[in-house]
Amino acid sequence: MHSRPAPGEVGLASIFAITGVVWIAGAADLSLWGGFAPDSGFLPLVYGVLLLVLSGAAIATLFWGDSAPGIGPVAKPLLVLAAVMAAVVGLNVAGFSISIFLMLLFLYAVVEKLPPIRSLAAALGTTAALFLIFKTWLGVPLPTGPFGI
Amino acid sequence: MEPFVDLMQGFASALTPKHLLMCFSGVLLGQIVGVLPGIGPSAAIALLLPLAYGADPTAAIIMFAGIYYGAQYGGTLTSVLISVPGESTTVMTAIDGYQMALQGRGGVALGIAAIGSFVAGTLGTLGLMLLAPPLAHAALAFGPPEYFALVVLGLTALAAVGSSVLKGLLTGVAGLLLGTVGVDPQNGHSRFDYGQIWLLDGIEFIVLTVALFGVGEVLASCTLGRLRPVVDIKSALPSLADLRASRLPILRGSIIGFLIGVLPAAGATIASFISYIVEKRVAKDPSRFGRGAIEGVAGPEASNNAASAGAMVPMFALGVPGSGTTAVMLGALIMFGLRPGPEMFVQNSTLVWAVIASMYIGNFLLLIMNLPLAGLFARLLKVPYYWLYPPILALCVAGVYSQDNSIQDCWLLVGFGALGWMMKRYDWPAAPMILGLVLGPLFEENLRRAMDMSHGSGLIFVSRPISGVLLAAALLALTVPTLFAALRQRRALAGA
Repeated sequence: MHSRPAPGEVGLASIFAITGVVWIAGAADLSLWGGFAPDSGFLPLVYGVLLLVLSGAAIATLFWGDSAPGIGPVAKPLLVLAAVMAAVVGLNVAGFSISIFLMLLFLYAVVEKLPPIRSLAAALGTTAALFLIFKTWLGVPLPTGPFGI
Repeated sequence: MEPFVDLMQGFASALTPKHLLMCFSGVLLGQIVGVLPGIGPSAAIALLLPLAYGADPTAAIIMFAGIYYGAQYGGTLTSVLISVPGESTTVMTAIDGYQMALQGRGGVALGIAAIGSFVAGTLGTLGLMLLAPPLAHAALAFGPPEYFALVVLGLTALAAVGSSVLKGLLTGVAGLLLGTVGVDPQNGHSRFDYGQIWLLDGIEFIVLTVALFGVGEVLASCTLGRLRPVVDIKSALPSLADLRASRLPILRGSIIGFLIGVLPAAGATIASFISYIVEKRVAKDPSRFGRGAIEGVAGPEASNNAASAGAMVPMFALGVPGSGTTAVMLGALIMFGLRPGPEMFVQNSTLVWAVIASMYIGNFLLLIMNLPLAGLFARLLKVPYYWLYPPILALCVAGVYSQDNSIQDCWLLVGFGALGWMMKRYDWPAAPMILGLVLGPLFEENLRRAMDMSHGSGLIFVSRPISGVLLAAALLALTVPTLFAALRQRRALAGA
């Protein structure tokens, strides 16, 4: 008797399978062979086919072989990922320092429910340290927001 | 005699204040990431890549190597004190190390692990020094078919290391596929850029590495709660009787670890497993194992450190990584504009020998740090992960942005980070994907050149002896683990 495969893992294998299909389709617009050697489209086509076949085999083993459930809960990592996404959106709008500070504060105070003062201090300290390293020390032109930071 | 002359020149470079500082920083960081949960040496190196971009390659590689072998020491602390291996390479140490800790001998276990690691690391570095140059010299005769076969071997060997050959192979092919994004270096045609100018340069190694090992690792680990209570350490100095009982296991572990580390398909984890089994086999009273036998700590600890040095042999000499971390280091070498492989010993001999010399220094520094400071490092175990992961994420975003001042790269970071989390969640290996991306261009270039050489005949890859042997080894690397897994499953079914 086989266990039911984890939908997330089937989804993961499907992402790779779809990528394979995209690459096969993309390779069709490129030249496959030139002279004695493969041209621009040959290896993408081979990789696409291989990825599709291997993903198919992976999905098959999930259904017909043993499938382990994913490790750990899902909600918290998704919340953390959403915070990172919001910070990346905020880079153009609010600048590096503000968006990273808000992301850190959200993670400490809301996601982890840590005391507000400590969360504020940790978020502020980390943002200041990153600003010093990247902007002052390495000279990286970090995106700036309305306050010029 | 020549390697010793080169080594002396390496010491001259490694002992300069800057390189000495980088070596110390590397081993200290390695020790810390080995102790901290949810971040391994691959992730630590990945996070530092943006900071190292444009820096002195020798200094950066000295630091990365320090992180790599320093993490082996750090992983031991968590294995012994809380029975949670910080690294897969220290799983075997946890069995007897934790039992020793429960008996009030945690300090002795850490002390013998530090001494064993120092001896093995030093012997392993000696082996690296003696074996890598002749191997690289022999490989200088390689042509495009041999390089092509070498890349195939590297990819299949790394794919075979994980829990599933199929998943390893799949992620390796996905990496190769991502490597085709951007301008084809051969003829200038753009591929898979979908009209986006920022994709013309392709997907950067740093972006994928930081996403998979940094963001992916954090998302997978952010659910970690408080750690188990830490056993206190009294003294990390082993007695004479402990040293006497450990000397042969350390020697055996060093030899086993180095030999296994050199094989591209193996690594420190397998080495520590084999060393533990060997010690149990040769022991007069095997029943002591699992109840706090010091040999069960000394052997595996020596072997995992010797394997780290062994894994550097194929990386430096052939450009084929022996582990996930060396795959990231290989990418770093390419990022610095260097070409790992046989030519490195000729074209970048100063760097290679400085790194080898720094490994002697680093192992000595780790011994000094670990005997008196084991208790101090053990306190790091009490830092909860929820204080650590937000700054790691912020560093990922800042690091990836700074590499090309590109917001689009940050989006790739989010996307690949989510993919990395799913891969980690379902135990899909990430290292083959990185290696595929790194070695993809080399693979394509040598395939084309070999086919041009043979006027379009694929037989060139099997008719040339070295290329044929390398491809046969790649086939073995794929089939042997599959056969063993099938046999194990059959036995399990028969036993049920």
